[in-house]
Order: sequence, then structure tokens, then C-alpha cells
Amino acid sequence: MDTTLPQQFTELSLQSLKRVQNQSFQLNQHSFQQINSFEEHSQSLSLRLEPIPLKPIRKENIVAAVDSSTMKIGETTQGIVIAVRGASVWKQSKNYRYIRLGPFIFHLTEENKREVYNALEKAYFTSLPDQNHQSAPNLLQMPMRIASLLERWMQMMLSKTINKGIILFDGSLTSGTADMPVGRMKQILGTARKRGNIVLAFSKMTNLRVNGYLITDLLPEDTPPYLLETEGLKLKPPMVLLGDVYVARLTKGNCAFRLDIDREVPIEQKIEAVEKLLGNDLLTQSYPETLRLAHILCTFTANEVLAMQHFITRRHGLQIINRPDMHRLLFGPFGKGESWS
Amino acid sequence: MKLYKKEGNIVQILSLPNETVEKGDYLLVEDVEAGRSLIVQVIDVQFASIPGVLEELLRSLPDGGELIQGEDVDPLEIAPHITYIQDASLLFCKIRATVENENLSPSSSWLPSRSRSTIKKLPLPTLLKLAKINGKLPIILGGTKDASLLTIDASSLDGRLNIITGKKETGKSHLSKLLMVNLVGYKATVVVFDLNGEYISLGMTADGKRNACFDKIRVLTPSQNFKLALKQLNLHVLLGILIHALHLPGTSAREFRHIWQSLKERGNITLHELGETIRNWNCNQQVRDALFSRYHALVNSGFFTDNVAEATLLEECLLKAREEGGAIVINLRNTSSIDRQIVVEYVLGKLVESLTSWTLKAVFLFAEEAHLYLRETYWDDIVTRMRHFGIFTTFITNQPDTIRENIYRQADNIFLFNFTNEHDLDVVSRAARVDAETVRSIARDLPPHHCLVLGKVVRDFPMVARVRALDVKTMGETRLFFKDMN
Repeated sequence: MDTTLPQQFTELSLQSLKRVQNQSFQLNQHSFQQINSFEEHSQSLSLRLEPIPLKPIRKENIVAAVDSSTMKIGETTQGIVIAVRGASVWKQSKNYRYIRLGPFIFHLTEENKREVYNALEKAYFTSLPDQNHQSAPNLLQMPMRIASLLERWMQMMLSKTINKGIILFDGSLTSGTADMPVGRMKQILGTARKRGNIVLAFSKMTNLRVNGYLITDLLPEDTPPYLLETEGLKLKPPMVLLGDVYVARLTKGNCAFRLDIDREVPIEQKIEAVEKLLGNDLLTQSYPETLRLAHILCTFTANEVLAMQHFITRRHGLQIINRPDMHRLLFGPFGKGESWS
Repeated sequence: MKLYKKEGNIVQILSLPNETVEKGDYLLVEDVEAGRSLIVQVIDVQFASIPGVLEELLRSLPDGGELIQGEDVDPLEIAPHITYIQDASLLFCKIRATVENENLSPSSSWLPSRSRSTIKKLPLPTLLKLAKINGKLPIILGGTKDASLLTIDASSLDGRLNIITGKKETGKSHLSKLLMVNLVGYKATVVVFDLNGEYISLGMTADGKRNACFDKIRVLTPSQNFKLALKQLNLHVLLGILIHALHLPGTSAREFRHIWQSLKERGNITLHELGETIRNWNCNQQVRDALFSRYHALVNSGFFTDNVAEATLLEECLLKAREEGGAIVINLRNTSSIDRQIVVEYVLGKLVESLTSWTLKAVFLFAEEAHLYLRETYWDDIVTRMRHFGIFTTFITNQPDTIRENIYRQADNIFLFNFTNEHDLDVVSRAARVDAETVRSIARDLPPHHCLVLGKVVRDFPMVARVRALDVKTMGETRLFFKDMN
């Protein structure tokens, strides 16, 4: 496992915080969910209701997963203060191990957001993203974009360092979005393939429907574990689907997830990869433990948010201000608080 | 530290890990604008309810209950801040007083500002000075946690009812010896009912040499060097023994009074004559039997003699102690229950007699495990009537429920050692000068030889002190079977 410290991340984090010295600081927090905001056209989508049965392959294989999270921890007069953290978890010889990067705290303003974002892009992927994408998003999108950047870098690191393993991503293999340029995803998947790894991407939520029903609700009575294959999913350009989409019902119970598997991998290897996952990882409610741990380890707890607020007020001399919540102010008990999204 | 909440007379203070505050510590909540400060005492320390702590703990144990192995790359070093927040504590503090212009008042009716108030530890010497806990007759009880001395004034024990209680082997007898030695040093008269012979070497140093108060300690062991000649006794003292210690019925007591008059007229008050007179007395057979059984109890106790030269005059010992101060140790070790009650009845009767006639000014009475020899009616007597005569009692017990509730209610000072049993703590917390929360919370965690002092001696500011060592020969040690083998 490549444990090189993401130096540029640290430097940019510190550099951005230097600008925040002695400003007033409004403590409020907001967590960001990684939700696919793009629409996948599923009119032509169909689901083959004949399940592909799966048998766990117990032969030892490394299973690794990556996840990241981000949170706004406050506002300054010029911008926002956010925290980003990523976690890689892998299971080898029956033990889980992890590497957690962060939290990195950034002070993002309209002035520095382009600089920060481009510097990170350049540092980790040596090139700027596709020209047709906005290189620095608006301020409100920045937390998710920076977290995505860290997550992609960690995915790339796993792809480069693991051999013949199963790599689990959180989300889908849809690319061509601002967060996931096609070239970058191809690069990650290609690197993984070269080392004999197979990428499985689990989406906790999906908006793909067949005949009006979510694909994860159309489950045959067969005994799990099994996969259901989808066909005919088409995306609106510039979005590209780099994986084949399945519905994975891996344990008893009614939980099933959308599972994207690298399209370039032959079908037999795809099924074998899921069987290796079944044989090498714990699965609860059809969800792999390694991915669950990655999510748990990167998520910020309320205590950590307090600690980060404590850190920036102490280390960077921010003055805490208490700006009234306009919703509360105007609507009293009917104001449910300010919302970001 | 920050003021968080106030409910009744309890304030909650948020404290961060670098502010080391423990149970029993005093804090000063100062509101400069209001020109007043609150003196509060920490009675409990709890974890502050930090949001997300449960998730934090659960996250560290996801691998079948074992810590998941891994590496945290934390370039900004946030982790220490996380643990710093996680370890924040909430101090539950009891309001003890308000300070205004350096004057103390017990008021807790005002509320200091939550945002402006500053909170700092109040060193015990400062508190002692503020509360004026000093005086001309200092008794150094021991050291406090902040290395200062807790000194009380001997006069705060004068006219007071005191209780020393705690579990076995926590240092109760040691403290009572310390108080006794100091009182004797200030020329007070002390009488001790020594149940286990623990005080008989009060005049000796630990290495067996005579100490400064050797000449002031008189140990009286009943039926050995403490005997009474019948003719030295007053009728009412003897009747007290017969009625209260030996439960002689009223009719028989009346007959005894006649017998005594008869002996007195003949001028022949001896044990032998008393026996013969009862034998030949013209009275009901049952009365005679009752008198005879009590007579034999008196004879068998060995406490009475016909030889005047052999008899010890308690009065003389008391008079000697009155001049230069002294302690009379009544050694009740190896004395049977009945004999013990006879001796105690006699001593108390004699004390009341001496005090009533102003032969004695006042006596400090130390009573160990008093329930084993004190008759029922004496409890009320001691806290009400006898106190007015000048008997100032200190009860010492490891069974707090053996002391009646009304004694606790009227106790002026309580020296409380460790108790873990809820029931024991409940009993002690009934004392009027104590609040139950303080007793329950602090006494439970007291280490051996540490004492929570409550009451007038500390001007109602409960304080914990490690009772200082005393160079006195230890007696009353428990006999052990395996002692030599180890």
C-alpha cells in the first residue's frame, strides 16, 4: 500500500487557513452526501429477472475499499471552512486494516477556490480535467469536489498498490461528470486491471427504474446470493458508463444494491470477482463490511467537528460570531434551520 | 472552566482536561461586574455530554470488539483536539457561600454571569482565611490535597456533639486520639470509654517511650486498678447502676433504698453486710430474689471491694485532670457486657454529680461503639441534658446505624471516613449539618486515613484532610492467626 503523504493537500490546507487569521467565524456545520446529481436515462433499461447464482470463493483474496467525506464546519466573512477526510480499508488474512487521511481543513473563498482546486488536480493527476468541464466549481460545490478529488486519488493509490484484489468503490462507475472526468476513471480502472484487480462499485441509492419500479426493488424469490443483469442503460453525453450495471442481492433479506463492474472485464471474471468478495469479506444486508468500515472511518462525528472548530479558533485566532439563523428568526419554531443544498 | 448550568444550589461547570479538578476541591466563580463571587465545592465529576462520543467509541471497536489496526495520517494534528474535547468533564458543584467585599454569606440566591464569570480553584488556605477557620487553640488535623494544613480550633469542639465514623481500619481511632491529645494539651478533661484497649498507651510514643502527655493519661481498668468501695458510693449512683445497668424493678429498688438506709445507720456499708442484710430483710421473697441476683452481679463484677485502700477514687482522677488537663481512659477491654454497663453507669453518674456540684467545669467524653454499653435513655440524655451539665460527647463508630437519628440531627461536627455501603451513607447523610449529595459523593471515594470534616469546626465548608500521623503507641490491633507465618 502506498502510504505517501498527500503533501500538496496538507500544504494547501495550511496555506488556505493562513488567510483566515483573526477573522470572525460563524460556527455552523453541514454534512454533504455524495449523491449522483446527474440523471441516467433509463427508458430503454431492462432487467433480466433470471438471477446469476453466486457461490462464495474462499480462496484468499485481498478486498479493499475507499470512501471519503466532507463537512462544512463554519463560515467566515469571505467564505467557508470545510473539512475533508478519506479512508482506505482492506481485509487481508482475516484482519481489517485501514489508512485514514485527514482531516484536511480548507478555507475556501471565491478568490482562492480556483487556485486550490487546480493545484490539487495538478498535484494528483498531473493534468487538468477535461476542457469541457468547469475547472473550479462554485463555492457551494467545492466541498464535494475536493472530497471527490481525495477519493479518486485514494482509489488510484489502491489500484496501483494491490495485486489481484477486489477494489470496492462507493457509488457508480458513471463518468463524464464534473466530479469524475471520463479520462480519470478510465485511468483508475485501467491501472487496476493491469495489476489483476477488479473494481466493484456499490451504490447505496439508485434512481434507475424499470417499468416505474426501482431496479433494487424488483427481486425474484430465488435464494441469494445472486446478481441480476441490466441491459440497455444509455447515458446522455458527455456522461459515459464505464461499468456494467447489476443488481446485487448478496445476503438473505430484502436489501439489494446497484453494482457496477468494470465493463472491460470478461463476464466470467466479473462473476468470479463477486464470488471472491462473498468468500473473503463479511456481508451484512448485502453490503460489504470493508466498504462499510471505510464509510464509518471517514465520517465526521459531532465530537470531531467540535474539535476542528476548537483547532481553528485556537490555532488561527478566529473570532467566533453568532450570526442569527434567518429561518429561526423569521419563522420561530416553524423555521427548521438554514439548509445548504 | 465555564459556568454551564445552575439547578437549585448545584452549579454545573464545564472543565477541560488540562484543568485538574477533583471531588472536594473548592472553586471561586467570580463575577467582577456584579462584585460578587460564589464559593462552590466539587461534589462530583462526570464526563461532559459531548455529541458524537458514542459514535467515536463504537468506531474504534468495529472488528469483533477488538481495536481495528490502522494508520491515521493527521497532518494538521487534529487528533489531540478530539481527545481534548472528548475528555472534557462536567463538575457538579454545591454552592457553599457568596463572597461580597470579603464577607461570606451562605446565600445562593443570585446567579453569576455565564459569559463573564471567571472560574478558578480556590486554595484551601485562602478559604480557611476567608471563613476564619483558625483561632487561638489550633488543632492540626492533617494535610489537605493542596499540601496545606487543615487546622481547626479546639474551642469549636467545646460544647459540641461530635461523631467520628467510617469503615473499619480507615483511621477513626487515630483521629480521636489526635483530638484527645490536643484537648489534653489545652488542659481539657477527657474521659474515654475504651472498648478495645486502644487508648491505654496514649502516653507512650510508638517506640514505647513516655511522651509529653504521659503524666496526664490515667488508665483505669475495672476490677484491676479501678475498684469501688461501697461506702464511697452515693445511693443514687448505686441505684442508677441497679436500675439502669442491672434492670432492677421499681418495687425492689424501693426495698433496696430501705436496706441502704439501714446499713448507713449501722455505719457498716460493706459487700458482706449488704448480702447479709438482703438475706435477713423482711420482704417479699421475689423482691429478695431480685435483690440477691443484682447483689451477686455486683460481687461477680469484681468492680466493688470492701477494702478502701484498694479502691480508686474517680473523683480524684478528675480533679487532677481539672488542674493540668488529662485523660481518664476507662479500659473496657475484657469486660463483660453487664460489667461494662455497671462501669459506664457509675462513671456517667459520677461525672454528672461532679459537674452538677461544679467540682468539674466540663468534660470531653469519647465513646467508642457506645451502643455496646450505653443504655437507651442515655442517648437523649447525652445530647440534651448532659450537654448542659458540661459533658461534650464524641461518638466513634464503624456502624453508623447504631447511633440514633436524633443524635445525627443534633451533631455539630462530623468526621467522616470512607464508607462504600449505601445504607451507611444514607444514615450519616441524615445529619442536619450535612447535605446528602456531599456525603454520598465524597465519602465513598475517600482513601484510608482521609477524613471529610463537616460542621462547625470547618464553618460548614466540608473539607477533606489526610489525618496527620501521631507518635503514639498503637494498641488494639486485631489478633491474627497467620501473622507469624507471613
